[in-house]
Amino acid sequence: MGNSVEFRNISKIFPGVKALDDISFKAESGQVYAFLGENGAGKSTLLKILNGDYQPDGGQYLINDMPIRFQTPKEALAHGVSVIYQERQILLDMTVAENVFLGDWPKGKFGEIDFEAMNQKTKEIATNFGLDIEPDMKVGMLSIAHQQMVEIMKAVVRDSKIIAFDEPTASLSDKEIDILFEIIERLKQEGKVIFYVSHRMNEIAQIAQKVIVFKDGTLVDVVDQATTSEDELIRLMVGRSLGDIFNGLPHNETFEEVLLEVDEMLTPYVNKVSFKIHKGEILGFAGLVGSGRTETMNALFGLNPMYSGKIILEGEEIRPKSPAEALEYGFAMVPEDRKMQGILPNISVRGNITISMLKKLINKIGFIKNGEEEIAQEMIQQLNIKTPNSDKLILQLSGGNQQKVILARWLKTNPKVLVLDEPTKGIDVGAKSEFYRIITECAQKGMAVIVISSELPEIIGISDRILVMREGRISGELLRKDFSEEQILKYAMASPDSEAV
Amino acid sequence: MGALITKLKKSDFAEKITLMVAMVILVIVFTYMNPNYATSANMTNILVACSLAGFVAIGETMLIIANQNDLSAGSVAACAGVVAALLTQLGVPALVSIAIAVLLGCVVGAVNASLVTFLKLQPFIATLATMSVVRGFAYILCGGKAVAVSDKTFRMVGSYKVFGIISLPIVLLLIAFVVLGLVLAKTHFGRSIYVLGGNGYAARLAGLNPTSITFKLHILQSGLAAFAGVLLAARMNSGQPSACVGLEFDAITAAVLGGTAFTGGIGTIFGTFLGMLLLQGFNTGLNMIGVQIFWQEVAQGTLLVIALAFDYYRKRMRDKKLLAESMETRGIKIPKLSK
Repeated sequence: MGNSVEFRNISKIFPGVKALDDISFKAESGQVYAFLGENGAGKSTLLKILNGDYQPDGGQYLINDMPIRFQTPKEALAHGVSVIYQERQILLDMTVAENVFLGDWPKGKFGEIDFEAMNQKTKEIATNFGLDIEPDMKVGMLSIAHQQMVEIMKAVVRDSKIIAFDEPTASLSDKEIDILFEIIERLKQEGKVIFYVSHRMNEIAQIAQKVIVFKDGTLVDVVDQATTSEDELIRLMVGRSLGDIFNGLPHNETFEEVLLEVDEMLTPYVNKVSFKIHKGEILGFAGLVGSGRTETMNALFGLNPMYSGKIILEGEEIRPKSPAEALEYGFAMVPEDRKMQGILPNISVRGNITISMLKKLINKIGFIKNGEEEIAQEMIQQLNIKTPNSDKLILQLSGGNQQKVILARWLKTNPKVLVLDEPTKGIDVGAKSEFYRIITECAQKGMAVIVISSELPEIIGISDRILVMREGRISGELLRKDFSEEQILKYAMASPDSEAV
Repeated sequence: MGALITKLKKSDFAEKITLMVAMVILVIVFTYMNPNYATSANMTNILVACSLAGFVAIGETMLIIANQNDLSAGSVAACAGVVAALLTQLGVPALVSIAIAVLLGCVVGAVNASLVTFLKLQPFIATLATMSVVRGFAYILCGGKAVAVSDKTFRMVGSYKVFGIISLPIVLLLIAFVVLGLVLAKTHFGRSIYVLGGNGYAARLAGLNPTSITFKLHILQSGLAAFAGVLLAARMNSGQPSACVGLEFDAITAAVLGGTAFTGGIGTIFGTFLGMLLLQGFNTGLNMIGVQIFWQEVAQGTLLVIALAFDYYRKRMRDKKLLAESMETRGIKIPKLSK
C-alpha cells in the first residue's frame, strides 16, 4: 500500500512538436486517474515516459518519492511499472502462461524453463480474476478481450505497482468491459496506482476518481470526476467551444451538377456502397473506425481492388487501378496517417509540395525546369504554411503545417474530387479552424470535397451532407438541416432492432 | 564563388571535406611507406581500377537510395565479359557483341526487379539467388575456361587512349558519373528515387509508380555491371567466368563511404565518386606496401564496417541537427535536464 507516481516539470520534444510541456502532478494509490485530451494532446507520450520507452528532455519522474530515470521499458517493468496498450504486446503463437511470464520464465535446476510452475501460477492468477483461461492455450485462440486480460496478468505476475491502460476498451464488448472494470477495481483496492486513457466519457465517469486533462502537450487541470460535469471536461480539453469556429463558414446552398457517382461498389472491405457527390459539395463520411470509410476511398483511389460496381466521373465510367491513375482522373487524397502515408521525410518542403505535379514541370529529357520554387512559395503563402523557407525538411514543421504541406501537394494537382481522411487529426485548434476555412474554399471553387472524420462536431460543422457507414455499408444519410450527433451515432452503432433481416 | 560555397555547404559540405581529408591522409601515409604511390602513373592505375567497380557503384548508390540493393553485379559483369568475348570469337562485330552483352545484363536486372516487386522478395535475397544463377551460366557458356579476345576493335575499347593520354574506360566512367549524377539530382526520375527510398507507401499515394521505378533502377544497375564487365574483358583481352567476385562488395562500400544511407532516401553520386577513389586508393596502397592478399580481404571488410559505423554516426548527427533546427525554427528552447 501507499504507492505514488510524481511528475515534476516533465518536457518532451520531437522534431516539429513540443509533445509535453512542463507537466507536473502526483498520483497516489487507491485512485484511478483518467487521462483526457484530444489526439496529440500528449497522453501517449506521457505513458511512454512512464514506462521508459521515451526519456524526458527535462523535469523529474519520481516513484514512491524516489527520482527515477528509466532507459528502457524493461527497467520500468522491473520497477513495477506496466503499461497495457491498445495494440496488445503479446505473441499469438505462444501459450497464455508463456506470454504472462514473457522474457521472465521461471527456471528449473538446470536453467530449463519450469513449465509446471509457470502454468500453475498462471492458473492461480486467472482463477483469482474469475477468468476461465487455460494456461497452456495458445493466445491466438482467445478472444480479443481475453488477450487483453493476458496483458493484465503479465502486469500482475511482475507485481507491478503502477499500471496504465491505453484505450483498453477500444475493441471490447460491453460485457467484456464489465470484466475489465472489475479487475481494475480490484487492482485499485490492492493499492496499485492506476492510469486510464480513454476518449469515452461514460467509461471515465464509471471508473475514474480523478481526471487529468491535457491539451496541446500541457496539463490543463486535475479535477475530481464526481464533481465535474462532462461539459466542463470538454471545455477544459478543447479550450473553446467548437461551435464558434464553424459558424460563418460559407456553404453552397444548391447543388446541380453531379460530379462523381459510385454505384454498388463491392471490394474486399465494402459492400455495395452507392453515393453521389455534386460539384461544390462537402460530403461528410461518418462512422466508427473500421466501418469502411477509408476503404471506400482507397478503392476510389486504386489502392484496393474493386470486384464489381461502377465509378462514374462526369458521366464517364472510370476504373483507376493505381493512385497514379486516380491522380490523372482528377482525384486527390490527403491520407489519414500523415507520417506513414503522406510525409516524404528526407525531402524539402518544396519537394513535398511539388511531387505530385512535378511531371508537368519537366522538359523533354526529364530534367526539372525552373519554377519549382515559385510554386512552393505560392502554396506557402496561400495556405499560410509556417516555415522559414522551402528548403527545410518537412519533419521540422509542426503537425498542422506538415498537414498543410500535404494538402498543398494535392491542391497543386487541380483535383476535381478532393478526399480528406481525418484531416485535422492531431493538430491544434488554431490550425484546425484554418483547415476548415481552406476546405470550404475548395468547395466554393467547385471541387467536390469528401471529408472522413470521427469527430462529430467537426463533421457536422463543415459538411453539406453526411453519409454514415457501418460494417462496410452506408447505413444512413443526413441533410444539413437534420444533422445531430444522436442521429449519426444511431446510424453508426449496430442496434439490435435494425439487424432484423 | 560565394554562391558556390553556399551550394557546397547545402550538399553536406562537411561530409565531403571529411572524405577529401581522409584521402589526403591516405596518400601521405602510403607515399611515406612507398614513394612510388604518389606518382601520376599510379594515380592512373587507381582510376583504371575504379573503372570496374565505379560503374556498379553508381547503380548501387541509386538502388540503396531507393531502399533496394543488388548482390548479383559481380556475376553479371563476369557473364557479360564471357558473352561478349564468345560473340567476337564467332565473328560478331565488337560493338554489336558489347550491345548484346549489355542487353543480357539488362534482362538480369529485369529479373531481379520482378523478384523484388512481384514476389515481394527482399532485394538481398533475390539478388543473392541471381548472383549464383548468373555466375553458373558464366561458367557453363565457356565450359569453365577463359575466352580469349582477338578482335582488334574490342581490345581497343579497353586500351584506347583518348587524346593519347587517358584510357577510354576512365573517360567513360567519368561520363557515367557526371550524367547519372545529374539524372539523380535534377530529373523527375532522380527525385522519384529519393522519394521512394524515404517513404515508399507515401510515394505511391503521391502518384508515383514504385514498380516502374524499381524496374528502371535494376535494369540500369545490371546494364552498368554488364558494361563494366565488358570493359574488363577488353582490357584483359579475355572474358573470364571467375572474374569480378565481390565486385558488388566494393560498390556498396564505396556508396556507403560516400554518404549513402543504408536506410534509404539519402546519398549522392558525387559522394560515391569520392568513396570509390578512397576505396581504390586504399586497395592499391595495400598492394604497393606489400600487404599479403589475405590480409587485404580482412582490411577491406574492416573498411566496410568502419563505413557503416560512420553511416550510423552521420544519422545520429543528422537527427540531432534536425531537432535543433526544428526547435530554432519554432522558437522553442530545449530545457535543461535536471538529474
